[in-house]
Amino acid sequence: MENMTNDAAYMLRARDIYKSFQDNEVLKGISLDVCRGEVLSIIGPSGSGKSTLLRCLNRLETIDKGSIEVKGEYLVKNGDSGLAEYAPQKKARELLGYMGMVFQQFNLFPHMTVLENLMEAPIQVKGQTREEIQPIAEELLQKVGLYEKRDAYPSRLSGGQQQRVAIARALAMKPDIMLFDEPTSALDPELTVEVLKTMRGLAAERMTMVVVTHEMTFARDVSNHVIFMADGVIVEQGPPAELFGHPQEERTKSFLGNMAK
Amino acid sequence: MDKLTETVLSILAGSKITLEIFILTLAMSLPLGFFVALLRLSGLRPLAILMDVYIWIMRGSPLMLQLLFVYFALPMVGVRFSDIAAALLAFTLNYAAYFAEIFRAGIQSIPRGQYEAAKTLGMTYSQTMRRIILPQMIHRTLPPISNETINLVKDTSLIYILAMNDLLRVARTIVQRDFDMTAFFIAGAFYLVMTAVLTAIFKRMEAHYGKYDE
Repeated sequence: MENMTNDAAYMLRARDIYKSFQDNEVLKGISLDVCRGEVLSIIGPSGSGKSTLLRCLNRLETIDKGSIEVKGEYLVKNGDSGLAEYAPQKKARELLGYMGMVFQQFNLFPHMTVLENLMEAPIQVKGQTREEIQPIAEELLQKVGLYEKRDAYPSRLSGGQQQRVAIARALAMKPDIMLFDEPTSALDPELTVEVLKTMRGLAAERMTMVVVTHEMTFARDVSNHVIFMADGVIVEQGPPAELFGHPQEERTKSFLGNMAK
Repeated sequence: MDKLTETVLSILAGSKITLEIFILTLAMSLPLGFFVALLRLSGLRPLAILMDVYIWIMRGSPLMLQLLFVYFALPMVGVRFSDIAAALLAFTLNYAAYFAEIFRAGIQSIPRGQYEAAKTLGMTYSQTMRRIILPQMIHRTLPPISNETINLVKDTSLIYILAMNDLLRVARTIVQRDFDMTAFFIAGAFYLVMTAVLTAIFKRMEAHYGKYDE
């Protein structure tokens, strides 16, 4: 079944990632490791490159230099030219298929009901039948507490409900790694709570997660490891107790100080 | 047979060619327009420029001139069409250009997040277009498409210059023969009925595609 499990204690490894938009260097040599069942939070001021980093991990942005390994296999690595070269399309698709993503703006398909949103990719991409995927999709909706909304269109849902549907939609593809790009930044505080609860539930089930977030409480309570980024570099990282309890760098201290206000 | 019945029947016969041009033009120009829009957005610069020039010529010169060109000028260089083929060619090329611009705007109005969501779910480009982008594009472009379609009904009357006996030409012949305006009123009624039917069809389609709001 999962023949990669032995050597793939690392679900995700990135080494020396560089990424520029025109002349603007956004990522300046980022490396990170994510183990199976681990929750990694990436925090930092806006413009620090944390969202770009996350988007590079699943190739929504392509990197210029560096390497990314998914479950022990290269998605991208430096070629002879010294520039990043991606795996052939078939392999890349396989590796990208291990990852699910949740966006700040939810990005649900507005012309499909909640249930159709969940069933679309399993049917189209994995070739599953409606009969196969519908019970799974309904179970996922139970899990995020939105079963009774299964026939509603996204426009009828609150932001928090939409984001929980988006999480369930990503989970319907049975990913091994979930990437969250500021999943609560577009939400009112009271709606944030329900989304974070869903994410805590996932973490409790040992889902491997990489979370770009402004929710310091979530980062502190739920993650195993926290990365603080600024200006395209990792300024400081460590277990949440250390990073939040005893930050070493001035930059980290002032950021956390501002966030606490 | 009284004269009124005879007039109505003649105009009805004339409306056959009108409808034929209308339906065939629509059936060909909608897919062609969509294809042109895709090429226009393909990111292949030479193709995009070519499509821009095509759209510019078709939208920038009178449809009447385009009809005359296909019908009279092309045969001079040895390209000869039957009457109906010439009309269909000119109408299709012209309407495809308008539809292409409508589709282009429709496709570009879909937020990037929709493509990204589909991509992270593993969908291919063609799956994304077919299942995610197209249905939303149709929803958004139905009102302008409806407009152009109604224009097409009326534009079909231009084929009178190719000496084809369409609805309007038949009516005009009768008026000139009898010195009686009735045929014009009947012809007007025919156009109004056709556009009313179209309006009703598009209303239903908008309701169908608009069952979600955004």
